[in-house]
Amino acid sequence: MTTPPPASAAASPPGATDPTLPGQSPATTIRRHVTDDQICVLTFDRADSTANVFDRAALMDLNEQIDFVQCHPELRGLVLVSAKKSIFIAGADLTQLARAKSPEELREMIELGQVVFSRIAALNIPTVAAIHGACVGGGYEVCLACDYRLASPEKATKIGLPETQLGILPAWGGCTRLPRLIGFPKALDIILGGKTLAAKPALKAGLIDEIVPREYLTDRACRVILERGLNLRRRPHQLLKSLLNWTPVVRLIAGKVAGPLNAKTRGHYPAIPKALEVISRGLGSSLEASLALEQDAILELGRTDVCRNLIRIFFLQERAKKLTGLPSSENVASLPRIEPVRRMAVIGAGVMGAGIAQWTSSRDISVILRDINDEAIAKGMAGIARLYEQGVKRHALTKLEARAGLDRISPSALEVPLGHTELVIEAAVEKMDLKQQLFARLDRLIGPETILASNTSALSISELAASTRHPERVVGIHFFNPVHRMQLVEVVVGRQTHPGVVRRAVKFVQQIGKLPVVVKDSPGFLVNRILMPYLVEAGYLFEQGARVEDIDESMLEFGMPMGPLRLIDEVGLDVANHVAADLADKFRERMQSPQVLSAMLKEGLLGRKSGKGFYVHGGKGDYAPVNPEIDRYHDGTRLAKLVREDLRNRMVLLMINESARCLEEGLVAEPADVDFGMIMGTGFAPFRGGPLRFADQLGIGHVVDEMMRLAGEGELRYTACNLLQTMAAAGTKFYQS
Amino acid sequence: MNTRLVIIDGLRTPFAKMGTDLARLAADELGRIAVSALLARTGLDPALIDEVIFGCVGQPAEAANVARVIALRSGIPQHVPAFTVHRNCASGCEAVTQAYEKMASGRGEIFIVGGTESMTQVPLFYPQSAAVKFGKLARAKSIGQRLSTLLSFRPADFKPRIGLQLGLTDPVCGLNMGETAEVLARELGIPREKQDAFALESHTRAVAARDKLAEEIAPVYPPLVKSVVTRDNGPRDNQNLDALAKLKPVFDRKHGTVTAGNSSQITDGAVALLVMTEEKATQLGFSPLGFLSGFAYVGCDPQRMGLGPVFAIAEAERRTGLTLEHADLIEINEAFAAQVLACLRCLKSDEFARTYLRRERPLGKVSKDILNVNGGAIALGHPVGATGARLILTSLKELARRKAKRALVSLCVGGGQGAAIWLERP
Repeated sequence: MTTPPPASAAASPPGATDPTLPGQSPATTIRRHVTDDQICVLTFDRADSTANVFDRAALMDLNEQIDFVQCHPELRGLVLVSAKKSIFIAGADLTQLARAKSPEELREMIELGQVVFSRIAALNIPTVAAIHGACVGGGYEVCLACDYRLASPEKATKIGLPETQLGILPAWGGCTRLPRLIGFPKALDIILGGKTLAAKPALKAGLIDEIVPREYLTDRACRVILERGLNLRRRPHQLLKSLLNWTPVVRLIAGKVAGPLNAKTRGHYPAIPKALEVISRGLGSSLEASLALEQDAILELGRTDVCRNLIRIFFLQERAKKLTGLPSSENVASLPRIEPVRRMAVIGAGVMGAGIAQWTSSRDISVILRDINDEAIAKGMAGIARLYEQGVKRHALTKLEARAGLDRISPSALEVPLGHTELVIEAAVEKMDLKQQLFARLDRLIGPETILASNTSALSISELAASTRHPERVVGIHFFNPVHRMQLVEVVVGRQTHPGVVRRAVKFVQQIGKLPVVVKDSPGFLVNRILMPYLVEAGYLFEQGARVEDIDESMLEFGMPMGPLRLIDEVGLDVANHVAADLADKFRERMQSPQVLSAMLKEGLLGRKSGKGFYVHGGKGDYAPVNPEIDRYHDGTRLAKLVREDLRNRMVLLMINESARCLEEGLVAEPADVDFGMIMGTGFAPFRGGPLRFADQLGIGHVVDEMMRLAGEGELRYTACNLLQTMAAAGTKFYQS
Repeated sequence: MNTRLVIIDGLRTPFAKMGTDLARLAADELGRIAVSALLARTGLDPALIDEVIFGCVGQPAEAANVARVIALRSGIPQHVPAFTVHRNCASGCEAVTQAYEKMASGRGEIFIVGGTESMTQVPLFYPQSAAVKFGKLARAKSIGQRLSTLLSFRPADFKPRIGLQLGLTDPVCGLNMGETAEVLARELGIPREKQDAFALESHTRAVAARDKLAEEIAPVYPPLVKSVVTRDNGPRDNQNLDALAKLKPVFDRKHGTVTAGNSSQITDGAVALLVMTEEKATQLGFSPLGFLSGFAYVGCDPQRMGLGPVFAIAEAERRTGLTLEHADLIEINEAFAAQVLACLRCLKSDEFARTYLRRERPLGKVSKDILNVNGGAIALGHPVGATGARLILTSLKELARRKAKRALVSLCVGGGQGAAIWLERP
């Protein structure tokens, strides 16, 4: 292996004016300490932050520390640790990566990381990473460059390479070193899956070598260095691993994996096949050549819209975690701290109520679960117990944690005092008069600070609030089904909802690990409102002769997780029809439920719950073939000739239009809220960045032209909204950059 | 008693015969369900509780100090301490009177008390010989040692010792509880027919009281089953004398009179009560169900433990001045029909009073109209650690329904003791 360049060579990009360059006020990122035994301990401790990340400054700092180590031959070993409570190193600084103005800038950053890490790998003393907390992406790649890895068994410790989920790949040596460490197939599993593992599975997979209590990490690292010295580098010869990493075998496996992978990603996620290619070709090459492959690949991927959109979603998620629910002008620091919710009540033990009770109880909240009779509660409790059992099977929870969660739920069919609960979420039947009675009653049971929330997906929060003496304390907290899987929660602000209540509701959503989006009270709120014209259109296209397969397949090709007609089957035709009818009250023809749904309903085709809908359900596993009798529900052949692209175009345009309307009506604060809501709430093709982002990519002018053309054919629901028309005329976009 | 302990409210699980509806729930789980429901029902802030005290006779091996396990699992904060009490069949009473003693000595004002028992889950034990060999096996170092220890096991080492049977046998006099009942039946001449008639009455009354008893029951939702348990399953709607007469005596097969039908049932269940000082009750705005106005525990002959209530009632009278005439309701726990009938006989006997109680007059006559009015353990079952607390709860609720003043609750206690508790409505 060639000698890596000294720090100065790697550190001077031509004409760099980066303010974080060393000498120009670099924030401290690493503390150095040399023990009595001459072991150099580097502690990552980024100033003014709870996280360590690798930005340029941190890499430069690390590079200088290696200079120091090289200049002191008396040193017997190097240990990397973090001083942070829950993070070792959270990987590369994505902000810096995302803001890279030119490919050169990006290349320079990638190269810098590769060079610095390779210098660690080339040191002639033993090196040990002692991991506690999140150790992902670049954070784990630096560990891969070390000779030996220890990790704490705590919950905060998560180890892995999630890069492919952001549309990139591990390019600081991850694709090169991981397969050499743990073997090709296991490395594929981690890298292509974008996985992060807890300490125990990480040990099993070979990502780390030992689990050590957090308090003893540094001591243990020093001891293995003193005891084993450079022998740490010598790994026992693993025959199987060498065989699996042997070029012909690698080719064979790569060939086998590629097919199903493409079928699954439909070519929408180029990072995954690219990573497969880099890893398999890299294994047959030298270390340097493999690193070069990584570099070329990430530059290629970094240029794609897919990558940009995926990274943007990552930022939007981070934003949702920090959201305050207040206007940005408000100074949050001056407001009183919000105490976490400790006790709450869920009213209604149906699917949603039980789902909410299960999720919140698993997050350390005591939950009173109310319904009107023992049988309803028994059903709900059985569902909750099943969810917990599944959690244990998935290793998401231990048996004791699951039992503790179940213990936190107090079911009651009788009215009980709610004075000491901080939050009550109603999830009863979707009937306004019933809910109003319920709210009026709950209003008398709660304490002076209790928030009264509704999980309604369709009814007006302001109207519900009107039935109470405290309308300012009423807010919508709308979960999606299934609660334990869907991360998005709509916080719905009624006319009279107090800003402090919105703030507390947002905080609650964050407390339980979900992602909030704040929406103004309006029929269907945000997600269902935008989804509905799309589902209605799918039904309409079918009615007019399009085939079920074509409709659903066109949207799968677009990148939706499920076709619209299959989604209607899952939701239930009755529910879909009911919601559409509700929304049509306000939005008229845009949401008018197609005749076909009523026709199918009349004959008992409800979708999954009745075994038949557009598909036939109840077969083995999840497989449900198209209902062979479905064609008799066509009510014309007018649109039978449309190709998949046309079908897709129609459905997507309607989603874009409704998205723009939501923005136009001020339901949410900005375009990102719409895109975020649709991606997290419906699984809208994440790599497309959301409906508004996608509209930008299509060009607003083009969107409006297409819509007006269809509207001109007599399909008035295609009339582009004012906002789109204005934007097209002015040539503006939803997003500036 | 200068400071009075007030009982605010209570709830219990349904009582279910061993091996039936609640068989899968351990004692800590049953206790948790009762406490958790009681906390929800009363709306008490659990952080205010000063101590949790639970009675349990056969504590689960995996939940030692079951009271602490129940407290933590019910969402009572860690800082609230908890301990378990054991006075055999009176453990549930002991939990209540312990709260009183704590309160009286100024060590706490608000308590969650109760009793719990899963008689289904009382384990089987290995004989001591097996335990010794298992210990040796664990310490064996070489394969040879291990092998030779393994080879030393004999079939007899695996013959289980039935925990329930051991627990129901007096370790001092060697009789099991049923045999002590046979002693009383024999010595006092209580015929089989009278015992069976008493047992039938217990069922009849418990069946008639179903709706009343429902008021003190919190439903149990056994995990993963879409069903709910809301009723005691011991009382038999179609119980009759003929059926009872057909049963064979269990404890003395040849000459005995005590059968499964005229004994208490072996049952799973738990009871929780919220008790506190009068002052706290006023401060928190709770209206009490009743007061504890006096109590006594007294020892007696283990072979005749069934007479425990007589001795305890006498002692309670000495302490409180309350006589049987003061009682609007009386509970004598139905461990065995023979034993309750023996108590009634002794309570009114001049001779018994003079010989054993050293008093001139007998304690008095008990009218059947006020005795065990909603049935007793023969119908409802006797989860040993929980029964005492259930009797207190059931009689307080009945006092309230009758708008009556005082109730006397008494139990015989295995090992030769009696317990008597006086309760009073505000």
